[in-house]
Amino acid sequence: MSTQEKSLTDKIWEVFSSMKLGLALLGIIALASAIGTFIPQISLEPEKAKTVGALWQTLGFTDLYAAWWFHLLLGLLGVNLVICSLQRFQGIYAKTFHQKAARTLTELPGQARAELKGNSVRLAQVITETLVQKHYHLVRDEWETGWSFTAVKHRWGYWGSLITHISFVILLAGALVGTLLGFKGYFMAGAGSTVPLKQIELSRGKVSQTFNVKINSAEDRMLANGERDNWYTDLSILEGDKEVARQTLSVNHPFTYEGVTFYQASFAHGAALTADIKGQKIPVVLQDQGGNFFQAPGTDLYLVVAAMKNDVQNPVILYQVYQGYGFKLVQSGQLKKGESVMINDAYQVTLDGYSGFTGLQVKEDPGVSLIWLGSLLLLIGLMLSFYWRPVVISGIYNGGETGGKLVLGASGKSKSLLAEEFGQFTDKLKNSAAN
Amino acid sequence: MNPGLENLETSMYYLMFAAYLLSMFSYWVWAAFKSELMGKLATALAIVGFAANTAAIVVRILIVQRPPLTNGYEFLVTFCWGILAVYLFAEFRYRLKALGVFVLPVAFLLLAYIAMKMGPEERVAQAIPPALKSQWLTFHVITAILAYGAFAVAFGLGLMYLLKHKFELLKKSDGLMTRFPALDTLDELAYRVVGFAFPLLSLCIITGAIWANYAWGTYWSWDPKETWSLITWLIYAGYLHARLMYGWKGKRAAWMAVFGFAAVLFTFFGVNYFLPGLHTYA
Repeated sequence: MSTQEKSLTDKIWEVFSSMKLGLALLGIIALASAIGTFIPQISLEPEKAKTVGALWQTLGFTDLYAAWWFHLLLGLLGVNLVICSLQRFQGIYAKTFHQKAARTLTELPGQARAELKGNSVRLAQVITETLVQKHYHLVRDEWETGWSFTAVKHRWGYWGSLITHISFVILLAGALVGTLLGFKGYFMAGAGSTVPLKQIELSRGKVSQTFNVKINSAEDRMLANGERDNWYTDLSILEGDKEVARQTLSVNHPFTYEGVTFYQASFAHGAALTADIKGQKIPVVLQDQGGNFFQAPGTDLYLVVAAMKNDVQNPVILYQVYQGYGFKLVQSGQLKKGESVMINDAYQVTLDGYSGFTGLQVKEDPGVSLIWLGSLLLLIGLMLSFYWRPVVISGIYNGGETGGKLVLGASGKSKSLLAEEFGQFTDKLKNSAAN
Repeated sequence: MNPGLENLETSMYYLMFAAYLLSMFSYWVWAAFKSELMGKLATALAIVGFAANTAAIVVRILIVQRPPLTNGYEFLVTFCWGILAVYLFAEFRYRLKALGVFVLPVAFLLLAYIAMKMGPEERVAQAIPPALKSQWLTFHVITAILAYGAFAVAFGLGLMYLLKHKFELLKKSDGLMTRFPALDTLDELAYRVVGFAFPLLSLCIITGAIWANYAWGTYWSWDPKETWSLITWLIYAGYLHARLMYGWKGKRAAWMAVFGFAAVLFTFFGVNYFLPGLHTYA
């Protein structure tokens, strides 16, 4: 029983440690990702995605990158990478820190070979001098009738591939942490309004923070030449009624408070009004084109701003009032700045002026630091792999003090670097042997 | 805006266009008739085109006061610059004139695309949306251009390999083929060029992620452009693994270099013109 179990574990281990699986997974993931760009995705085209065949929707093809099987593929790739890395760790460690000098000719690296005769002491001296000068890491061995050496240049290059693969696992872990913890949401609010973070619309996760966000101002700023400078939001973080932080943010300049980051995502114009309900004055900010409504307390009247005149100096709005569940239009009209109007004999509104509406993306993603760590390691790994390729030169000398034979072997991932290094090295040795 | 500078930019664009076109024909004539003079002329024209290309970019920077990388036109002109930079380096470093036969047409076709498909309104310097106002833009696009330029060169090398391989099978020793380096050399060079470009493509994707995190609040959103850059990355990652572990060299590697560049082109053209997404500027 136990041998059977072991062989099964071995088999699974074997499958997961094979690079064939890794390559197959890369291929399948690439293919699946490509398919996802041709089938409408809920995240990009929600309306179109609904028209895709029901079977495809059930299989998750319209939300492909969040589909369980897509995550499974990524997970399998992660497991494959971890096992491959574990298996290779020891070998790479030994190659870097416990390099041994070759003892037999079969142990010599075989990509390039050379042979020469000469004086034992002289050759050994030139070899050491040349290789140390060229920053090789050199180990030597000696016995009665001869000696040997192995020298490695760029030995950190051995770690490149391992670091690259581990970085990929860290990236996957970062993405997983981001999916499981934290949240992502969005809200649109007019200048002057206060939004409790717990009440914003979420697309993922849950908000645990209890603070409120006050929008002090929202501006669409233009440059002197008529081009848009940026959208700016001046916001305050309120714990209860107390302001604990204040910051102006804009596109590309987010603001983070207690792990929650606010991003300027969009902007809309709106109007600032004051509603006077039996002497009680309530400030109201309404977005252009009916983006939101105001329901006066104790009424079933919904006030919206249907249109706004594009003239900041002389604000004019077109307002509409709808009533009841049927949203019946009961009143509409124009309102200039400073003008007031009675709404269905229930309350009075006054237009105070124009006001900005800011659209903020809000996110808490504890996985981001892992993503940056993974990215950094990925770059280091790739740099080591491709721009820091190791070269090994090894040799065995056999024979007496003079007239013995030195056999040299070399290998390296980069053929040109190998040819250059080995060529220069053997030339130098031949010259010294001839002298 | 300075009309003098704008005229200069237009002149430089046409000079570059003409020089690349003539250079392409000169490379072809050189290859077909073994005319050394044409070979020298081809290289000289490529250098003239490259100089005009550089000037067009510098003038655009002076006009818009920012890196010229924010719309399709600017990107394509800079993409050509990247291709020629990597190509000219390869020609001089490895004496690889025959590569010009395949790489110059790529640069020329990109410029021809601008001339035929882009109206004047797409070419002029435009106001950029707030999302593009970031210093990450420069890093992001420069790495993209160098990586894509190198992939174009690897594509040329792959084509050369496939052609030479075909002719050797047929035992034809055509004039053009004798000018190609040995199959092994072509294969090794393509590998080296991909090895140079792959870390740059990775850097391009990473700088894009950092920037997206600032601008959109998410480092990865499976936007089609992101997804296709990842697919391109995966294809080249496959190329490198298959080569190192299974000895996929020669023909299969050459096909992958061609295939990989097709993914590069799709990432740019296909995504912009066929697929929806956030990345609509270039």
